Amino acid sequence: MNAELLALIQMAVGGGLMGMAYALVAYGFQLTYAAGKAVNFGQGELVMLGAFIGLSLAGIGLPYWAAVPGAMVAGAALGWFVERAAVRLALQQRNEGWILLTIIVGLFGVSAAENIWGREDKPFPVPWPDGALEFFGISVTWPELAIAAGALGMMALVELAKRYTMPGIAVQAVSADPDSAELCGIRSKSAISLSWAVSGAAAAFAGTIIAPVTTVGPTMAAALTLKAFSVAVVAGLDSGFGLVLAGIALGSAENLSGFLLGSGWREAPGLILLILALALRPQGIFGKKIIRKV
Amino acid sequence: MLFHVNLALREKTAERIMRLTLFSGLATLPMIWHGEYALGLLTLMAVYGVLLIGLDATVGYLGQINLAQAALFGLGAYGTALAIQAEVSLPLALLVGIAAALIPGVALALPALRLEGPQFALSTLSFATLSVIFLNESESVTNGALGLSIIRPSLLNILLDSTRFYWLCLMVLFVAWWASQLLLRSRFGLAIEALRDSPTATDALGIGTLRHKALAFAWGSALAGLAGALHALNFGYLQPAAFGYDLMVILLLGTVFGGRRNQWGAFTGAAVITLLPNLLSNRTLFSFLVTLGCLLAIVPPIRALFSRKTPSFRQTAPVAAMSVALVLALFASNVEEWRKGIFALFLFAAVVGLPDGIAGAVTAILRKLIRFAPDPLPVASGGIQPANSSAGLALQASKLRKSFGGVKAVDNVTLKIMKGETHGLIGPNGSGKTTLVNLISGLYKPDSGSVEIFGVRPIPGSLMSAFLAGSARTFQNLQPFSGLTALESIMVCQREGGISEAMGWLNTAGLQEKARLRCSEMSYGDLRFLEIARALATRPYVLMLDEPAAGMSKPDIIRLVDLVTSIKRAGITILLIEHHQDVIAELCDLVTVMDGGQLIAQGTPEQVRRNKKVIEAYLGSDETATQAKSEMRTQLC
Repeated sequence: MNAELLALIQMAVGGGLMGMAYALVAYGFQLTYAAGKAVNFGQGELVMLGAFIGLSLAGIGLPYWAAVPGAMVAGAALGWFVERAAVRLALQQRNEGWILLTIIVGLFGVSAAENIWGREDKPFPVPWPDGALEFFGISVTWPELAIAAGALGMMALVELAKRYTMPGIAVQAVSADPDSAELCGIRSKSAISLSWAVSGAAAAFAGTIIAPVTTVGPTMAAALTLKAFSVAVVAGLDSGFGLVLAGIALGSAENLSGFLLGSGWREAPGLILLILALALRPQGIFGKKIIRKV
Repeated sequence: MLFHVNLALREKTAERIMRLTLFSGLATLPMIWHGEYALGLLTLMAVYGVLLIGLDATVGYLGQINLAQAALFGLGAYGTALAIQAEVSLPLALLVGIAAALIPGVALALPALRLEGPQFALSTLSFATLSVIFLNESESVTNGALGLSIIRPSLLNILLDSTRFYWLCLMVLFVAWWASQLLLRSRFGLAIEALRDSPTATDALGIGTLRHKALAFAWGSALAGLAGALHALNFGYLQPAAFGYDLMVILLLGTVFGGRRNQWGAFTGAAVITLLPNLLSNRTLFSFLVTLGCLLAIVPPIRALFSRKTPSFRQTAPVAAMSVALVLALFASNVEEWRKGIFALFLFAAVVGLPDGIAGAVTAILRKLIRFAPDPLPVASGGIQPANSSAGLALQASKLRKSFGGVKAVDNVTLKIMKGETHGLIGPNGSGKTTLVNLISGLYKPDSGSVEIFGVRPIPGSLMSAFLAGSARTFQNLQPFSGLTALESIMVCQREGGISEAMGWLNTAGLQEKARLRCSEMSYGDLRFLEIARALATRPYVLMLDEPAAGMSKPDIIRLVDLVTSIKRAGITILLIEHHQDVIAELCDLVTVMDGGQLIAQGTPEQVRRNKKVIEAYLGSDETATQAKSEMRTQLC
């Protein structure tokens, strides 16, 4: 195999593994969209804050295996807060105010991060070994493998919980019809809060697995939100299927375009994909069409 | 209110006088308040004013979160700067700036405006990010991140010093304000208000949802380009990063804080966002203002507590946000470092606690204090006129099918209605009547089969196309234009005729007393009549009424029967879905009965009433009844 092609494949594989983390963030969108028909336009900020909190917990001497769950708990709390402060009121009034409000809460998160942790990018320590594994001439680092395993594991865990635990089934009932669920004795509000908390925890966890590869900084947030949106929209905001696929595709595409067109263009394919997907098939490639009722 | 002033002025006139006073004051200000710095701020305010008037077209009037305005502003600025580098004259450079924002804006609008809510916000956000990447990376043209410098040329041999340039910007703001006022008060503006409340109804009544949305967005983009052009001339130095996420947040702050859907809102917002960064550098003044904001925010929850109510989230959340801002103002080591956070807190408090912004709140207070002279009601004219009375088919549906998942909602339905006929469509709940009307009126696209209205085959699944063929409809679940008055609801639907014809249609529906009432304030029954009047105002050949008498009181039903009778007499073909059998019996020439998505009977009301199948569909057959009884018995035992 010639060296140039190998380099391209190497790029694509590295990007694809990173893309699984985008899929995990996008999965967070799906969770809240299913439950309450709203998504967090500040999800990237939650990822960033999760990573910073994990970093600080490790900094005060907690081992990695305690810092990550700690960050997830904080992420869950933040997710819950976003729903309570920015989404609930607007959804009750059936208006689009939540879009603005989630952007605003995210903005405050960035500002807080800038002042608490500083504007510089910081490395994120991990207990994995330093070297890389080689498969057929393609090298994969341990943190990259951790992204793939972590993202898939987390999604599988939440999906299992949705199907086999009572709160999970309650959330599914609420997403099917909040009023009927309420009539059956399920608190719709609590179920929606729960899904936002889980979404926040997933975002924070995504932060702790992305950060070892990219470093942590306040600027990572905005780009991540858009990438996760691209993945979610391409896959469909109401389909559980296809997220991982779309994530891998986006991750590879952005690495390749960064390599071929110059680093400034890295984000362009995701954005173009997003606009095209919205224009051509707003319900997503794998999503269902919405029927207007009058 | 304890007191109020009666003014013999109309509100519109009073507003115009205030606006003229404001502008003459602003124009004379540089003569009193000297200094380049002050002049710079005033110029910036005028530029932001133009930009925010444009942003209000989408964020306010269309009700969609538009995150592309900052990027369009940047594109306009770069367009003008590049034109000036190419040494074209100033007026032409301004036009280039407008085009540089307008063309990509329209290119974005056509796909994006089919989207609603979060999807629209997303597509504008990705467009904005892409634009900044493009400006950054096209280094050969834009000089990339290093930036672009230009020198302001003279306008028609007049040297533009900073005072004269300020006057130019002020003039542009005045014209933009006036033009957008004109635009939004026209039928176009009414259409935009209407489609925000019900895009389905605006399409079904032929107002054209997409066209108006695209025009509103284009208007906003053009103003963004114009503002960008002025910005480039004002600063003389451009960098892509200046038009990114941060500016967008500031613009949203301006729009929300100033007040959405309010012409004064854009100006107020522009003043706020011009002054705010300067306030942050003056610690004492800033702390004072935040304290003031805190005290203002705390008034509503305290009032709630005095009337022994628990303060709502809407009342308490702004207090929380302002308290955090106060803590930052008093204790943060450097307030300017917290700039974004403080903007976020202000925005949060404004979106939750002051949804109409400063201008909206002030307008509401002024309206309570001052009684303006009411606009006179127009004299009614026109009304229902006889339609052409040729014979033939008015409406033909052939072999229509539509299923949702596994449910065959409409299954092989063929229906013919002659010109001038009043045709009833009845059937138990869930039998597919509304779906059939939705197929004929083009809301749904049939799986197979075709529709013909007055000899024209409309495009399947297009409300607009069915409307153009001559149909109009009402909705079972009301689709009022909540933000418009009854009179405006009619005017926006009219093809021809002016305000007195609109009044005529209200007369026809018996709503003349309610002409100036907003739809959001009207009763359910009145809204049903208004829907019929709205459909009539489009002068349809075929009128489809979907359960017009549902939920109406007895006297209203009598009024309704009279109204439909007069429509019928004028020769307009009617398709009437109704559950009230007496209404059907009184009005309809022929009745079609549906059950389970299929036609089960057709005939005069009398024939249908005796039809065995129809009785079965409504009441169940003897067999099913006995079966049900025995089932109940086994359950009880």
